[in-house]
Amino acid sequence: MKVSYILGRLISAIPTILLLTIIVFFSLHLVPGNVVDIMLGTQNYLNEEQIQKLYTDLGLDKPIIVQYFTWLKGIFTFDLGTSLRSGKAVSSLIAEKFPITLELALMSIFFSLIIGIPLGLISAVKQNSKYDYTFRVIGLIGLSAPVFWIGAIFIVIISSTFSDFSLFGFVDFFQEPFKNLQIMLVPSITLGIMIAAQIMRMTRNSMLDVLSQDYIKVAKAKGLKGKKVIFKHALRNGMIPVITTAGIQLGYLIGGTIVVESMFAIPGMGRLLLQAVNQRDYPVVQGIVAFIGILIVVLNILIDILYSVIDPRIELSD
Amino acid sequence: MEIKKLIRKFIKNPLNVISFVVLIFIILIALFPSVFAPYDPLEMDVNAFMTGPTKLHLFGTDQFGRDVLSRIIFGVQKSMQISFLAVILASLLGTSLGLIGGYFGTWVDQIIMRVIDAMFAFPAIILALFIIALFGASVQNLIIAIGVVYTPIFARTIRGSTISLKKQLFVVAGKALGKRNANIIIKDVLPNVFSILIVTFTTNFSTALLSEATLGFLGLGVPPPDPTLGGMIGNGSDYLLSAPWVALFPGMIIAIIVLSINIIGDGLRDTLDPRNIT
Repeated sequence: MKVSYILGRLISAIPTILLLTIIVFFSLHLVPGNVVDIMLGTQNYLNEEQIQKLYTDLGLDKPIIVQYFTWLKGIFTFDLGTSLRSGKAVSSLIAEKFPITLELALMSIFFSLIIGIPLGLISAVKQNSKYDYTFRVIGLIGLSAPVFWIGAIFIVIISSTFSDFSLFGFVDFFQEPFKNLQIMLVPSITLGIMIAAQIMRMTRNSMLDVLSQDYIKVAKAKGLKGKKVIFKHALRNGMIPVITTAGIQLGYLIGGTIVVESMFAIPGMGRLLLQAVNQRDYPVVQGIVAFIGILIVVLNILIDILYSVIDPRIELSD
Repeated sequence: MEIKKLIRKFIKNPLNVISFVVLIFIILIALFPSVFAPYDPLEMDVNAFMTGPTKLHLFGTDQFGRDVLSRIIFGVQKSMQISFLAVILASLLGTSLGLIGGYFGTWVDQIIMRVIDAMFAFPAIILALFIIALFGASVQNLIIAIGVVYTPIFARTIRGSTISLKKQLFVVAGKALGKRNANIIIKDVLPNVFSILIVTFTTNFSTALLSEATLGFLGLGVPPPDPTLGGMIGNGSDYLLSAPWVALFPGMIIAIIVLSINIIGDGLRDTLDPRNIT
């Protein structure tokens, strides 16, 4: 039963991923003018022969459908072409930068959870108290404030109060782990706050639903202590909707890494994408955008599967 | 239900009223920026480069001696214009796709929804960035990019409501009476999804503003020297330690605008939710 659900879920992703690659690939061909002209821009430093070679190297002399399938095949063999600027393989660029973005994302998730869940929980348990109102207003502000503004405030406050705390100057985790964690701290809290606001709102709503259920009333009537009811009975069920919406948060999170990386000069995938956009390095842009799209589809499937494991009540037939 | 009753319900929450007043004020600023701005947003004051807030320049000046307050006021106009038109575009495209998919079902719906799913796989900001990367940054391209990014949300929401409306008696009866499909969709279905459309519009208008600001911050918004709120923060980030006001004031204004729209959105949802009508 479960295996067939998982298989079905995996198969259902195939058309989505195919369409996604079609969107990414053919959008590039919607660009007015020839791709090579755009790549070369105004600083055309190549001669006729080199341009001709570029055409053949990029496979642009073949029909567009053939070009698409070559590129699609490349995705599965992790061969996404080479950067027009650095000459490095796009796939090795992604492999080099993605772990940094992943670290940032994981640390942000960690902070968003340890901020969001307790605040949401207190808000729900003490509904309509002054804590509830305060946290709800904070949550709304967190949802509304642009992440780069929060980051800017952090930079101003921290550099004026703790002058010897280094905010910039990324180092690799495997070279200097402590320095790395220190540098990543403020960026991941900045990004974490944005997600924490969403998690707090969801935890609150979901816990309010759960706390009004009959089995919670029964547990209380049986004389169980308030804390035990909340932590042992309510929290586990209350967290389920929070996990299901994790898929939506992923998008925010990955979008947010671009902003935070460019703000704090972290050399991750987001910053690479932004650089590639500014330099019109199309193979890199195309590769990263397709990579992110596929990554999100796959992660969403994993979340669905995880969800069905956590909550056995869920009908697997869907 | 009467409009009066709905309004009374909406204004019962003081937060709704405050946000509404703030938003009206912001809209007035966006409509008539030159009335509110003390200076020309592009004018450089050679006697005041990066000066902090003073009586002459309430929010200080930037590295070219331009008045930050005036730039914010004109920036509000540009940002609101772009986001508003983008969400209008998204609601037109998304509503049409949602109505068609939801009403006709079958393979038409399948194709539309698959494309929508694929678009949903991209984080909003990445998709917008991709479109801007391909077509270049201009006001028109920003509207198209943000509009395309927000289309799937409208399509999904409207499709869901259309599917449930399709089974309602008045739609089924219309079909039995031989009404044309287009007629049913426009005259029977559309008015009934309108309240959902308004709520979706409000909540997404605020996130569209954030997207526009983010693109501006990343340097892919409206090209300089025209001010936009995100662009001002991006520019001001280079001087955060010496002149924090250049970046922090525009950010505060974005937060205030988005916050008031979010509160109104929450308020509208509660007011228009049929389960809450007493």
